[in-house]
Amino acid sequence: MKNDADMNTALMVDGNAVAGELAQIFGRDMTMAVARCAGCAKDAELGALMAFTRGPGVVLRCPACQQAIARIVETPSAIYLEARGATFLRMRPQP
Amino acid sequence: MATEVLVRPALEWQAGTVTAIRPETHKTKSFTFALPKWMVHRPGQHYDVRLTAPDGYRTERSYSIASPPERVGELDLTVELIPDGEVSPYMHDVLMRGDQLEVRGPIGGYFVWDVAMGGPLLLIGGGSGVVPLMAMLRHRTAQHATMPTRILYSSRTADDVIYRDELDRMAASDPALEVFYTFTRQAPADWNGYRRRIDATMLSEVIKPFGNRAHIYVCGPTLLVEAVANALVQMQLPTEQIRTERFGPTGA
Repeated sequence: MKNDADMNTALMVDGNAVAGELAQIFGRDMTMAVARCAGCAKDAELGALMAFTRGPGVVLRCPACQQAIARIVETPSAIYLEARGATFLRMRPQP
Repeated sequence: MATEVLVRPALEWQAGTVTAIRPETHKTKSFTFALPKWMVHRPGQHYDVRLTAPDGYRTERSYSIASPPERVGELDLTVELIPDGEVSPYMHDVLMRGDQLEVRGPIGGYFVWDVAMGGPLLLIGGGSGVVPLMAMLRHRTAQHATMPTRILYSSRTADDVIYRDELDRMAASDPALEVFYTFTRQAPADWNGYRRRIDATMLSEVIKPFGNRAHIYVCGPTLLVEAVANALVQMQLPTEQIRTERFGPTGA
């Protein structure tokens, strides 16, 4: 690790790693749901977002432009999901 | 009462019972769990494991499933010991056969492959990134599938290779499967194969017979996955055929 940027890259995982938290919130697998980035308008599956999970919460970032798409924080009494970095989420209807 | 088929039961925590613990290498062990609510998984999926301290502090980690879905009622998680970690030292040093542990899964629909998706199949793993790839290979073998398959597996030394015997056995009895090892720190003295980090030259050699048709799965430490994914994209391989799973700063 030469500098902070390398360190941050090394700590990054895929959105797939927070599939459990997302399933707890949405009640279904969300890794194949698509988010459109409000910053650059690219679409990406949630499983393919850049995920930073070593902080007090989770930050999901756009793999194309790195903008924060969503943040998830869990407290003893509540789960917060902030997703203003997404224009929309698109998912298949449940069968 | 009619049998109720739960197609999509809620993902909930359950107490898994450890029925076997098997050392794989000097820093990885496989744990077999029997689950009261076992559910068939897709190769590549993971389980979350949760520990709760007496004071209520909780922490959880995700571990890839190593066993194939054909093994009904139980599953294997192969866990690398991270010495300053919160969950893996407990599993390695404290957990014993017969103990219970809170788990939730199977999780994830992104980094998955099953025989219905077809081939050719190219698996690229670094360190314990081989674990979900092994679930895919075990599933492929259990289904007697014959699509051309190659795995490129990077380890620091020969002692760090997980599942070595089984991989070599599988390859010896299956003409459609080829295993390529590379050693990044120290190769065995008589080694004729790769002895460096995975690079573009190595990737193009391994992928060559598949052209641009391969389904590609890359799993390992984040920097390895980054390097491999970037090289594959520069080789003009279709990005929708490349699936990655980064597991952070640890590993080979």
